Amino acid sequence: MTLFIQQFFNGLSLGGVYCLAAIGLTLVFGVLRIPNLAHGALYMVGAYLTYFFLTSAGVPYILAIALAALVLAGIGIGMERVVFHPLRNAPHTHHMIAAAGAMFFLHSLVQAIWGADFRRMESPITGRVEILGTQVSWQRVTIVITAVVVLIALTWFIKKTVHGQSIEAVEQDRVGASLVGINPNRVSMLTFGLAAALVAVAAGLVAPINLIYPTMGDVIMVKVFAIIILGGLGSIPGAIVGGFTLGLAEAMATTYVSAVAGEVIAFVVLILVLAIRPTGLLTKAVQR
Amino acid sequence: MLEVRDLCAGYDTVDVLHNVNITAEAGRLTLVLGANGSGKSTLFRTISGLVRGRSGSITFEDKSISKLSSNRIVRAGIAHAPEGRHLFPQLSVEKNLTLGNYARRSSKSELKELLTRVFDLFPILQEKRSQAAGSLSGGQQQMVAIGRALMSDPKLLILDEPSMGLAPMVTEQVLQAVAEVNSEGTGVLLAEQNAQAALGFAHYGYVLAEGRVVLSGAASDLQNDPEVQKAYLGV
Ligand SMILES: Nc1ncnc2c1ncn2[C@@H]1O[C@H](COP(=O)(O)OP(=O)(O)OP(=O)(O)O)[C@@H](O)[C@H]1O
Ligand SMILES: [Mg+2]
Repeated sequence: MTLFIQQFFNGLSLGGVYCLAAIGLTLVFGVLRIPNLAHGALYMVGAYLTYFFLTSAGVPYILAIALAALVLAGIGIGMERVVFHPLRNAPHTHHMIAAAGAMFFLHSLVQAIWGADFRRMESPITGRVEILGTQVSWQRVTIVITAVVVLIALTWFIKKTVHGQSIEAVEQDRVGASLVGINPNRVSMLTFGLAAALVAVAAGLVAPINLIYPTMGDVIMVKVFAIIILGGLGSIPGAIVGGFTLGLAEAMATTYVSAVAGEVIAFVVLILVLAIRPTGLLTKAVQR
Repeated sequence: MLEVRDLCAGYDTVDVLHNVNITAEAGRLTLVLGANGSGKSTLFRTISGLVRGRSGSITFEDKSISKLSSNRIVRAGIAHAPEGRHLFPQLSVEKNLTLGNYARRSSKSELKELLTRVFDLFPILQEKRSQAAGSLSGGQQQMVAIGRALMSDPKLLILDEPSMGLAPMVTEQVLQAVAEVNSEGTGVLLAEQNAQAALGFAHYGYVLAEGRVVLSGAASDLQNDPEVQKAYLGV
């Protein structure tokens, strides 16, 4: 039972990270209708920046994550302007190629600055806390709490603010959005900035648990794609449910089956969902 | 109020509009008639900035708007309820309507006033205010589309075939609402298949054919025009 509770918290923290990474990707897909293949690279840059602010600049952990998120928002907006905006009328394959290009660029940039070695970021939050008779590390508790706070703030932003509503409007009907006076260009930039900031938070949270290296974004990228397909492309609730489902499934499979099972579970679930409900779990039926 | 002069416009490889001249006076209801594919929607899309004109000019209240993007044009006071409606299907009726006010950013009290006006015009929308717009019937969706356009408190309301696909009863209700909005002082530029009904409350009309204005005149004159009668009134 203790093992189960422990793994449950591991799964939750992993799920929180997956959610934050997946929401950005699903938002960008919703607004621009493109899968941003460079999303994993943004995650990786987010981890390195958190590492930089924490170790080289010496700012406190949560502030380091916030700063990394801020810088990433800028990088995200820049990426929209430089890479995707010029291609807005081009076929989708061009976006994929450009995104892959951006990904390699970021890999090389990071390698040039920090080298290709694996780096370890010492967990700045130490100690454990007893929950339901089980020892859970403060780092994991921090991940879960931060993820939940960010998710609540994001939901509030999208549902209750004018800028958030403009994102939903563009997702649902670009022409309609233009006609009510929304500038789709600004919404694209906002979405990219938001997506990059969220994925930076995900990376900053998980960095103390995992190693940091230039291609670290590739593995999570594939899983995050599985999550947003699982949840329904463009659906934020879908990304949240999918993220936590996968996090928990992975933690449980690793513990009760094997480490390898943990790694492949994402794809087993994905294949099952695609076979049973190809549009994803939470795609809303739209009547036109 | 709105002056379209020698407008040519089209899509990538097709020219649709050829030297179109149209005027919509403030507070008036201007009707555009024309067969399928004659370019009515293209004309409206060009006015509201969704399509770029190739040549010619569009001025609104003596300012050129032909280079402005859609979001600027709404701010200038032209609201377009397009063909196909283009609602936000998963958002509630009320959110669709409040988004219609996006360009204006009205104060809370003004927003409430505008909403009340729309609900007075289409009481059913008040009842359905928290339902997803996409779940409504075609007629109700059209009401949301018109309501959303009205939420920007426009000086000119462009309506592209608001009765398309609606049952006769609903068509009558929608057109009556259009006439009411106009009688309260909002200028309307309307494309409508129900020429008979529309000519009844329009002030002025144009007939488009293959992207050219082939006939124009006071609504009462068009009603008595043998060409119009033959082509649009089934006389
Ligand atoms: N997006 C587009 N790309 C290319 N051609 C288009 C496009 N939209 C319309 N057309 C063409 O432009 C011409 C005019 O179409 P438009 O929709 O303006 O006519 P309409 O008068 O509104 O017709 P309807 O009564 O069917 O709505 C048609 O020949 C049509 O095929
Ligand atoms: Mg049309």
